[in-house]
Amino acid sequence: MAILSLGRRAFLRTTVAGAAVAAFPLPLGAQPKSVKIGAVHPVTGALAEIGQACRLGAQMAADAVNAAGGITSLGGARLELVPGDTENKPDVARAEAERVISAGAQLLVGAFHSAQTAAMVPVAQQKRVPFLIDISAADPITANVADSVKKGEQKVQYVYRNFPTSRVFGQRAAQFMAEIFKEAGVQPKRVVLIYTNDLFGQTQARQFQAAVKERNPGFEIVEAIPYPEAATDLATEVSKLKSLRPDVIAPVTRATTAILLLQELAKQRVEALGIVSPGTPGLYEAGQIAQLKELVEYVMDSVPWPNFKNPRTQKVAEEYVKRSGGKTFDTNSGYSYEAILVLADVLERAKSTEPEAVVDALKKTSIKNPLMVAAGPLTFNETGDNPNASPAMIQILGQKPVVVWPRDAAAQKLVFPRPKR
Amino acid sequence: MRVINFAHGDMMVWGMYLAWLLATRLGIDPYLGFVGCAAALFVVGLVVQRGLVDRIVDAPHEMQILLMLGVALVLENGALLAFGPEPQRVRSALTLSTFWLGPLFVDVARLVTFAVAVALSLALYLFLFGTDLGRTIRAAADNAYGALVIGADVRRVYAVAFGIGAACVGAAGALVSPFLPFQPSAGLAASVTSFNIVIIGGMGSLLGAFVGGLLVSVAESLGAVFLAPSLKELVSFSLLILILLFRPAGLFGRRAG
Amino acid sequence: MRWAALAALGVLIALPAVVGSYTLTVLIFVFFYAYLGQAWNIVGGYAGQLSVGHAAFVGIGAYTAAMLSLGAGLTPWLGMFVGGALSAALGAVIGYLGFRFGLRGFYFVLLTVAFAEICRIVALNTEAIGGAQGLYITFTGNPRQFQFPDNRAYYYIALGLMLAATAVVWTIERKRFGIYLTAIREDEDACQALGVDTFKYKMLAMVVSSFLTGVGGTFYAFYLFSLQPNTVFGIPLSVEIVIRPIVGGAGTLGGPILGSFILSPLAELSRFYFARGGWSGAHLIVYGGLLILVVLFLPQGAYPYLRRLLARRA
Repeated sequence: MAILSLGRRAFLRTTVAGAAVAAFPLPLGAQPKSVKIGAVHPVTGALAEIGQACRLGAQMAADAVNAAGGITSLGGARLELVPGDTENKPDVARAEAERVISAGAQLLVGAFHSAQTAAMVPVAQQKRVPFLIDISAADPITANVADSVKKGEQKVQYVYRNFPTSRVFGQRAAQFMAEIFKEAGVQPKRVVLIYTNDLFGQTQARQFQAAVKERNPGFEIVEAIPYPEAATDLATEVSKLKSLRPDVIAPVTRATTAILLLQELAKQRVEALGIVSPGTPGLYEAGQIAQLKELVEYVMDSVPWPNFKNPRTQKVAEEYVKRSGGKTFDTNSGYSYEAILVLADVLERAKSTEPEAVVDALKKTSIKNPLMVAAGPLTFNETGDNPNASPAMIQILGQKPVVVWPRDAAAQKLVFPRPKR
Repeated sequence: MRVINFAHGDMMVWGMYLAWLLATRLGIDPYLGFVGCAAALFVVGLVVQRGLVDRIVDAPHEMQILLMLGVALVLENGALLAFGPEPQRVRSALTLSTFWLGPLFVDVARLVTFAVAVALSLALYLFLFGTDLGRTIRAAADNAYGALVIGADVRRVYAVAFGIGAACVGAAGALVSPFLPFQPSAGLAASVTSFNIVIIGGMGSLLGAFVGGLLVSVAESLGAVFLAPSLKELVSFSLLILILLFRPAGLFGRRAG
Repeated sequence: MRWAALAALGVLIALPAVVGSYTLTVLIFVFFYAYLGQAWNIVGGYAGQLSVGHAAFVGIGAYTAAMLSLGAGLTPWLGMFVGGALSAALGAVIGYLGFRFGLRGFYFVLLTVAFAEICRIVALNTEAIGGAQGLYITFTGNPRQFQFPDNRAYYYIALGLMLAATAVVWTIERKRFGIYLTAIREDEDACQALGVDTFKYKMLAMVVSSFLTGVGGTFYAFYLFSLQPNTVFGIPLSVEIVIRPIVGGAGTLGGPILGSFILSPLAELSRFYFARGGWSGAHLIVYGGLLILVVLFLPQGAYPYLRRLLARRA
């Protein structure tokens, strides 16, 4: 079909160009080859929306690198993505990791869900394929590999991560909240945590509780209320929450239960100074805001976020809106995009796709101006994590998610307590 | 009929999406649109029964589970392909309206849905017990061979029964769509819940399904208040096991032969 | 038939020498699910007691072996049998309740589903075994820890598991035990009237089946390196275990193997060809459609059909 739609002139031009290339092949070795990167994400199943955002983010980054001339030190090599789908299952994640490698992938990125990422780790270690985790917060994933290298059970660590770990999430959330309350000049005392009782919710809740206990920031978590992952009704949980008279409500949700929760809070007219999440999806995505409208206004959420003070981020975000059909450039698309940029930078410095050379270059990474809000340059420490990967506090202002804290990344001034309706 | 319909929840999800289409494209409130959803799902049920289930009546009964799993996969991922993965919710005028009855807090949308569901159940009851077709369905469910002997077109009766079942979940999906956000993957949980309710109430008993539904939600809410809330889910499954063991026909059902 | 089976076995043993690691991975899952399917087949196929809660046994086996290895340093080579024993104990409880109280058909299905869900919810809320975060196993590649630097080792272990379970089923089939089980499936009341202790044989089938499934849990844990309640105790895994033997032909020796060889490659192929571009979900529609076609055209399962075909040839 594509050929049919080409004009005669355009057709001639392409064939002539093709013939010219065929007639004068570049000398072997100088020929721009391609580096294949396996990008494995949960594109179908319950996390499909996120997986698709990750895939598009990674693809756009590869396109951008290629448009800028590819990897110069490798003779302008192009980045070629080999997409994989975990179907939101760890066994499929492992098989997909093997498949993309057999399709020629020399590097891996993925995989959002920690269990699926963990299933890909042994493949990367066995096959000596450098694996940059774009999103996954569970601490043990990289720590375990670093540990087994330290004990001499594995020779080289091939697994690295550019994403805040669960511990960092909890610590930053407690820190941001304390700072924000101070900035606003109010001191809420009673925080009620309400969370989805699944892998993500439990992790976030525990790390946040631990950090609050450790920091003693002037507020206390009076109760942590879990609710089932597939909840269809939160009336009981919310009335319990209401009876605790919280100053601040700290929710950790999934996309569907976020809608359910905010609706229920509004229905039961729960009053509080504000809703401030220690980090959750469901409160900032364009689709969610369109659903929740005024309910989500002034809600704050401590999430990894693109740094819009970086001009490059702004350009990427605009393009993302176009290519995704109106979605926001956010945590998921952002970190998957950044992972490919990091790998491009690494390949440029490694001047080779040899696994050991790539790993060496990975360890020496230092990117001054990352796309995402960070606490410092993008580097990797001895466990293979980026110690400066950090969330930011965003707030929904005028139906748009905006960074409001830390101050030097803030695009707008925060509003707290939320104005009474 | 004893068809274990693993696609039950996915049919409900399609009911929700159809309600969403009607609401967003044509501006029809789901509290009216549910009639259209029921009609569409009736056709789906009829086709599934006629085209698929009916062809394997003689096969081992595990085959039928497999068949419905296949249908469930097609429905779920069909929804994913057609509507995308984002959670949706249907906006109805009633979505956020509530009132207080003294200390009691009443959710209007849920109340209206409840009322319509009661009305629909009553209509279904009248249909099953008051019309010839309804009586034939009950006869065929009791004893297919007997129904055949007295000259009922059992195949047609099954198809209609399956269609009505699908129409009911379609209507249910539309009716809960104003307050229950949904995604294509929401079907499995809905299927499991409805199996629980049917068993606790009693298979083949309308009143049973109704009381079973009330019982499960009340027990879950009580469990959430008095037990750790995370153990809420445990309540309905424990209830299910107890009923299975001590009253396997359910609270209102008759023991199957 | 026997020669064909032996020839096929020879090919499978020689295969790792020629095919790549991805093909091996696909085959490892083919064998592993055939193994789980074969274990399920004893109670679900031969005895006709449909269990859709076998994930509970995988989960218990996996968590036991992993906890013993992480906490007590016990090698999974022994831990797998402890896991199997605990699974068998749970199987005995479920079987006792189900069979003593005479639950059949749909009722038994729901009993097993309910037990698996209860296991999942308990695991989800038990901090000592990691709660919802589950357990993460360190990849060391050390064979003593049931880990291998080379995929081929996993391949032969999975193949061995499948063959061992098949040998167990083959033995059962030839003993009076197997004949009773089939009789129970066909007409339990008549069987009982003839003086067969149907309760005893159903219990035995359940225990053997849950033991084998529990042993399989160790392989799951040390091949995928992390355990979460939702993945190992969840309904989707139970369904995965059930569909292969049913497609192949429940209650037949070759059913689980054939079913696994049909379904796993179909899943891979449909993902390979239809999971591209923006068409996410298309491959699962195709897979679901293929399941429906299998049911419509091979309503007794693939294995009986294949046997008839071969018999006609001969």
